Amino acid sequence: MPEMNLVQAINQGLRQAMEADDRVLILGEDVGLNGGVFRVTDGLFKQFGENRVIDTPLAELGIVGSSVGLAISGMRPVCEIQFDGFLPSVLDQVVCHIGRIRNRSRGRNTVPLVLRSPHGGLIHAPEHHSESPEAYFTHTPGIKVVIPSTPEDAKGLIVAAIQDPDPVIYFEPKALYRAARGEVPEKLYATPIGKARLAREGSDVSLISWGAMVHTCLKAADTLNDEGISAEVLDLRSLAPLDLDAVLATVEKTGRVIIAHEAPNTNSFAAEVSALISERALLKLQAPVRRVGSWDIRMPLFRLEKHYIPDADRVIRAAKQLLSF
Amino acid sequence: MPLRTIEETKIQRLEILSPDGTVDPELEPKIPEDVLLDMYRKMVEIRLFDEKAFKLQRQGRLGTYPQILGQEATQIVPALCLKPKDWMVPTYRGQGAYYARGMRLLYSLLYWGGDDRGVKYPDQNNDMIFSIPVGTHLTQVAGLAWGAKLRKEPWVALTWLGDGTSSKGDFHEALTFAGQFRIPAIYLIENNHWAISIPREKQSAATTLAQKAWGYGAFGLQVDGNDALAVYRAVSEAVERGRRGEGPTVLECETYRLGHHTTADDATRYRSEGEVEAWRKKDPVLRLRKYLENKKIWDNEREKTLLQRAEAMIDSEVAAYEQFPPPNPLDMFANNFAVAPWPLIEQRLELEESLKHKKGELGMLELPPVEGRFP
Repeated sequence: MPEMNLVQAINQGLRQAMEADDRVLILGEDVGLNGGVFRVTDGLFKQFGENRVIDTPLAELGIVGSSVGLAISGMRPVCEIQFDGFLPSVLDQVVCHIGRIRNRSRGRNTVPLVLRSPHGGLIHAPEHHSESPEAYFTHTPGIKVVIPSTPEDAKGLIVAAIQDPDPVIYFEPKALYRAARGEVPEKLYATPIGKARLAREGSDVSLISWGAMVHTCLKAADTLNDEGISAEVLDLRSLAPLDLDAVLATVEKTGRVIIAHEAPNTNSFAAEVSALISERALLKLQAPVRRVGSWDIRMPLFRLEKHYIPDADRVIRAAKQLLSF
Repeated sequence: MPLRTIEETKIQRLEILSPDGTVDPELEPKIPEDVLLDMYRKMVEIRLFDEKAFKLQRQGRLGTYPQILGQEATQIVPALCLKPKDWMVPTYRGQGAYYARGMRLLYSLLYWGGDDRGVKYPDQNNDMIFSIPVGTHLTQVAGLAWGAKLRKEPWVALTWLGDGTSSKGDFHEALTFAGQFRIPAIYLIENNHWAISIPREKQSAATTLAQKAWGYGAFGLQVDGNDALAVYRAVSEAVERGRRGEGPTVLECETYRLGHHTTADDATRYRSEGEVEAWRKKDPVLRLRKYLENKKIWDNEREKTLLQRAEAMIDSEVAAYEQFPPPNPLDMFANNFAVAPWPLIEQRLELEESLKHKKGELGMLELPPVEGRFP
């Protein structure tokens, strides 16, 4: 199997999905000739032409709103919102429409669109270019939310998102775009939405995470292992729907849970995971569930970002606190 | 019944100083000599600064940086048409505007170097921080000017936006409010022809962006944005219109982004060198220099002195930037609320604890002092 990075894996997934289904369109700012600011759509404009890889005017709400119409009319739009910090302007369509139209129309109209956006920090980006807004989306009924952390899942999940009959938000951890490398099957395949990935087996403590933070957890697990603590790492991959079985299985195994992520901690998606554990597996716990997220303040400019987003050290300290509870 | 014409609007374009330095005497604004020289000096300084900042980024001494090369007239001149109490809200490509209103270049370097202490405008000015999600400031600007109007103060609000941003819904809502409430706001569209890789003609099917003004009951005008005299005249008249209570103005200033979108972009992927070259011939700085020379208030000797002084000033700002003490990570907890709620107090303590453990690896014996308010 060829080895590639996250950008190449998403690109290949998009390409193969477009070859397989001519209803699939890409819309976004700079996605055409420029190939996207991260080059995720590189070469697709040349291969599929300007009617399938569409450079739009600078209007995010226009991209998503018109894609709702395109999706209802029978197309399969894949929208790109260039940066996570530009996503709030599309919430009007996301919250009020894309997750509701199937239900409001009593099943007559459906919105099979994909909304792609970079996610997270740690690339020394300017302001509003390092956000982790997943909780705004997971809180919204009627939509699915996925976030890969390996090239193999990046390809499989973009294909699954495009094939899905309902709207899917697809986050791309930008710290992993070029840093995460791995083998990727050449054929067209879909990674099931709603299934977590056990990234590392362990028995003393569970590190549950998603996106770039999965790699921070793996690093923390290495260090903990050196100190005689066996940490399990669960990569959720799919936040909505969540793989409840996988979460409960790891809780049962270790009895100690850390949920690590990049968003501000309060009301984060980690709160939902924690609540589910307390509702369904309270007696399996040997220590309180711990959330390790960013501080409840805005992302600072990049000189301080490494003091804002949790690093392996914060995950390790939290793990040790749970073990000495 | 036959169709009747109920309104006809005309779209005008203002040009005063041509690229060869000739001037239309009927339209030539009366600009005091000291203002003209100040304008030219700042345009030259910001061009040199821009070049320096670009190099610093390439050398890894600065973060992502948005060049303003080619847009010196639309950056510097409008700011000089304001009083300090007028509101000014530039875009992220706005270091020229802040500089023209008196902010040290040091702070632009700090900001683009990833340091929040780079947000520091002169105390006497009503300058505001720009928005990174484009266009989100446009409705706010209507509010800034509206506030002055409601308090019966004479101040206006001037803001910039790009040709791309004129496509955002925010533009429609801002102009709707500004027109409806006759708000003294000036929307200066810095049409530099490229929104990253999307050219102006793919942004809107409208013939001009200036004509959008008429749909909202605002005054609209297209301006040669590389012509400092035309920009001066257009903005000054818009300011006066606002002060007289005649409502908002939209100025489409046509200029050109000679550089990449930012240092993270590569413009050679999507546009031709020939197009860029044609715009270099319409240079706003050189054009103003010719005008000053024709007026006999500028010559080679003065140019040489200006360049020497400008380079020395910029070197000194770069040195100040690089010697600026490192930020204390605890600073990020300051200025989030008037009174910090418990999660911030807990989290700040947690960060403080972890910094104590990391002191050695951070390479400092003692952390620098915390800045800003944290109750």
